[in-house]
Amino acid sequence: MIAIAQALALGFLFGWMLHKAGLTRYATIVNVFRLRDLTVIRFMLVALVVGGLGTQLLVELGLAHGLAVPSTRLAANLVGGVVFGVGMATAGYCPGTIVAQAGEGHLDAWLAGLGGLVTGALVYGLLQPHLMPRLATLGVHGRLTVPHLLGASPWLVLIVFAQLVAILMLALHGRARERT
Amino acid sequence: MPLRLHRWLPPALALAAVALAARPAAAQCEGNASSCVDCHEIQRQRPVLDDDHPWHRDHRFGDLCVACHGGNAAATSLLGAHAGRRDPLVDPAASCGGCHADAPARADRYLARAAADGGALSSPLEPLGPPAPPAAPPAASARGASHRADRAFAIAAIVLGGVLAWQVGRRRRRAPGSLVGWLRAPRWSPYVAGAGLGVAVALTEGFLRRPLSASGAFDRLAAYPGRALFPHSTYYAHIMTPAITWHVWLMVGVLLGAFASSRLAHQAHASWLPDAQWVPRFGPSRVRRLLIAFAGAALVQLGAGIAGGCTAGLAISGGALLAPAAFVFMAGMFAGGVPTACWWYRRRS
Repeated sequence: MIAIAQALALGFLFGWMLHKAGLTRYATIVNVFRLRDLTVIRFMLVALVVGGLGTQLLVELGLAHGLAVPSTRLAANLVGGVVFGVGMATAGYCPGTIVAQAGEGHLDAWLAGLGGLVTGALVYGLLQPHLMPRLATLGVHGRLTVPHLLGASPWLVLIVFAQLVAILMLALHGRARERT
Repeated sequence: MPLRLHRWLPPALALAAVALAARPAAAQCEGNASSCVDCHEIQRQRPVLDDDHPWHRDHRFGDLCVACHGGNAAATSLLGAHAGRRDPLVDPAASCGGCHADAPARADRYLARAAADGGALSSPLEPLGPPAPPAAPPAASARGASHRADRAFAIAAIVLGGVLAWQVGRRRRRAPGSLVGWLRAPRWSPYVAGAGLGVAVALTEGFLRRPLSASGAFDRLAAYPGRALFPHSTYYAHIMTPAITWHVWLMVGVLLGAFASSRLAHQAHASWLPDAQWVPRFGPSRVRRLLIAFAGAALVQLGAGIAGGCTAGLAISGGALLAPAAFVFMAGMFAGGVPTACWWYRRRS
């Protein structure tokens, strides 16, 4: 019960922010790939930095144990990313924003979006036994993080990364905004 | 503001449908990970997937522990999860036969390696020693008190949430700068919204030990038709079992959050076509939009399956933990997306 309430509350925050950032619009998503509207990049990089600093703070305070670090499998991450990017630039969708668009009342997201996600998952289910034993065993590095790899403090890596993001945002400021 | 029922109906129906379909679902730890992977790999209590044993190397493309070792991937207690565990090489036909028809022949190679390792095969399963004991549980009275406090706070949260929603909904847009005006704004700076999502990511990763991910929920939901359509699929039998998981509820929350935000900004309308950019390029046909959107959504979910996550679960949540996987995925996403967008919007003579 508590777990469902947590999921609903965090999901609510997630969906709220997706709408407020304008990521439920087709143009916002597609135009990042035309390098005309960098909202998606701004949103993702800030979420990444704040999420990283927040998680690290919880670890430091002793509140977080055993983070769910995703497995680095270079070939699978890259190939999957390419297929994902083709789909995203075609429909102006990613899985979370389809659900958010459905919440806004987009009937194309209810029908084609949710139907397409389930179909894509079924296609993956059929391909998985043939594809993944080959793909997911190339460039496997396990649950690796950059601080682990470099032997550096996660705080320092995060701060340097946040500074790089800030410099990038300053350099891009005002550029490519809403030039559709 | 009049409470227009037809606007609230679709999300309410969706919520009811999921609530009816819900069942006490299994281990819902890291995205779609089993209990085995959660404890052994994520919490790193005797991890095996990165070791150099050929049996683990050959099978680490999926969450396959139970297929070979037995046990109960849905149980969250130490004893429950290990009940019915077996040593896979004692009877290869039983442990491997579910997937491999030629199990005994394949097992020969593993048996040779096990013998070279000192014949771990013949030894009984190591006794289940409890891992490092967690902090002592609080006294029973304190736990009872906190339970009552939890209930009081949960009720207070629901009541106050209702009052807030009513207040914000009642007032029309106020002067810019007021709290209500801010909550009802159609757009926020992507930096502010991104920071808000970052807080959600940190809470999910830090307290709940799982990514804030979207695509995993659809793999689980697709397992319902998947199991019915492909009864012989190893994937649906052992790796992706159907369940209404925590991440499915997260998606219900996303639906409600986007609905609330757009409703307050007067942007929640039923529509078939996306914004102003679509029609000049693709025309006003609804069928065309549905076909292209369907293909795009299917590709997005297929890509997320291959990569191990989507923009939220892998790129943002994994990136927040500084996992190289996230940055490789983002590079691939742009490598695929930029040419595709340029192709759709190429100049046509």
